[in-house]
Amino acid sequence: MPSVLVIEDHPGSLDLMVYLLEHAGCLVHTARDGITGIAAARRHRPTLIVCDLDLPHCDGHGVARTLKDDPALAGVPLVAVTAAARSGDRDAALAAGFDGYFAKPIDPATFVADVTAIRARER
Amino acid sequence: MKSTDDKPDRDVDATHERALADGRDLDARFGTLLESVPDAVVLVNEDGVVVLANQQAENLFGYRPGELLWRTVETLLPPRYRNDHAGHRSTFFERPRTRPMGVGLELFGLRSNGTEFPVEISLSPLALGARTLAMAAIRDTSERKTFELALRQKNLELADANRAKDQFLATMSHELRTPLNAILGFTGTLLMGLPGPLNTEQERQLGTVKRNAQHLLALINDILDVVRIEAGKVELHLERVEVQDVVREVESTLRMLAESRGLSFTVALPEPPLVLSTDRRALTQILLNLANNAIKFTDQGGVRISVTREARAGGADAVIAVADTGIGIREADRARLFEAFAQLDEARERLQEGTGLGLHLSARLAELLGGHINLYSEHGAGSVFSLTLPAPA
Repeated sequence: MPSVLVIEDHPGSLDLMVYLLEHAGCLVHTARDGITGIAAARRHRPTLIVCDLDLPHCDGHGVARTLKDDPALAGVPLVAVTAAARSGDRDAALAAGFDGYFAKPIDPATFVADVTAIRARER
Repeated sequence: MKSTDDKPDRDVDATHERALADGRDLDARFGTLLESVPDAVVLVNEDGVVVLANQQAENLFGYRPGELLWRTVETLLPPRYRNDHAGHRSTFFERPRTRPMGVGLELFGLRSNGTEFPVEISLSPLALGARTLAMAAIRDTSERKTFELALRQKNLELADANRAKDQFLATMSHELRTPLNAILGFTGTLLMGLPGPLNTEQERQLGTVKRNAQHLLALINDILDVVRIEAGKVELHLERVEVQDVVREVESTLRMLAESRGLSFTVALPEPPLVLSTDRRALTQILLNLANNAIKFTDQGGVRISVTREARAGGADAVIAVADTGIGIREADRARLFEAFAQLDEARERLQEGTGLGLHLSARLAELLGGHINLYSEHGAGSVFSLTLPAPA
């Protein structure tokens, strides 16, 4: 059973992703800001991390750089889910270390399959 | 009386005599001319003595008529520049050549009352018999400097305002999408029956919620696109694009929708493939929009996309025509069809799902790609929207 850490500050979006992941049988941990998210990743060692980009206390890019610098967590697939939708956002997220990128609104029918299909990039 | 072996004094005397002679000669020849030019002008001999100054120069530097004559030109400079200037002067007289205004360093003038002001100076040699004088035209640039400063300030403010607008747009986009994520997401989970089965009426009502949330999302996206275009924030990525590819992509996206409404969807693509240097995303967006409209406003028959290459004077065009057999558009309505939020009454009566921005956006995108959209239509007999883009000759 995959264990997934969801880092998201918006309660509605967090609720939605947790619901979909738990419904699909995942064990879900949550964090509402970047710093707590990094700490939760180190404590729970999830098999997948889903992270918003616009977060209080250390944004998504900061989370990505920190986790990908950590040998114990660099291999965990890290997926950005964001409401930002400017043309350069995807490239910037991938450059910061994210392995996958999805724009909100998410499609509830495919969300779990989409994020669990992401693998950590070789680096 | 000066003694004959008092060399320095005799030199001063000789210098003065020369200056006087120069001045008389020049005043006769150039005095009137110099009074008529807008700039302050001083003529200086190789000793650095002012031998002629026009009234503009006297006014500019704050001297009474005739007061500038016989002074060394360095009097007109702030003390910190004087030593260097004497050197520059010798250099000029060794190799006299014209130096136009605005070339060289920032310079300052010194008024008789001790105040400084920024100046621009042009220099040119003036032959006087076997000797050479330097003619300096001097322009006070304080006012221009003030304008330049104000202009720089204004530009900074504009750049700030632009940045603030960009930031506002990005934030608005983010803030509007975020709640929609939860609304659309949970509507989806309910309709999927994840928490449990729905009865028919619940499903119908949730379907309405979902359609309206999607409409709101489409509006947000279209408005942001329009604002980005208005603000010149759309970045085009020009690449080699095969028109046929894009049309096939549009076909595969919309064929199901057309067929679900009992319409045919056909494409007519020429060989060999037509390759343009254009932005694939913008081209796709325009064609999806035109074809989607065509499907919406057609009850029977179908939609057909055809691609042709048309030679014209000085080059060629790619013409991508989206033809439908729908209700057509009245002559009177055609002009305002491409305006923002210009949904025609018929569109309102028929369907509520359009944002009213699609055609406006498509026309603006076509312009960005160097092309345009034309409309041929007969009320009751269908419409043809054709996108014309420049093609390689």
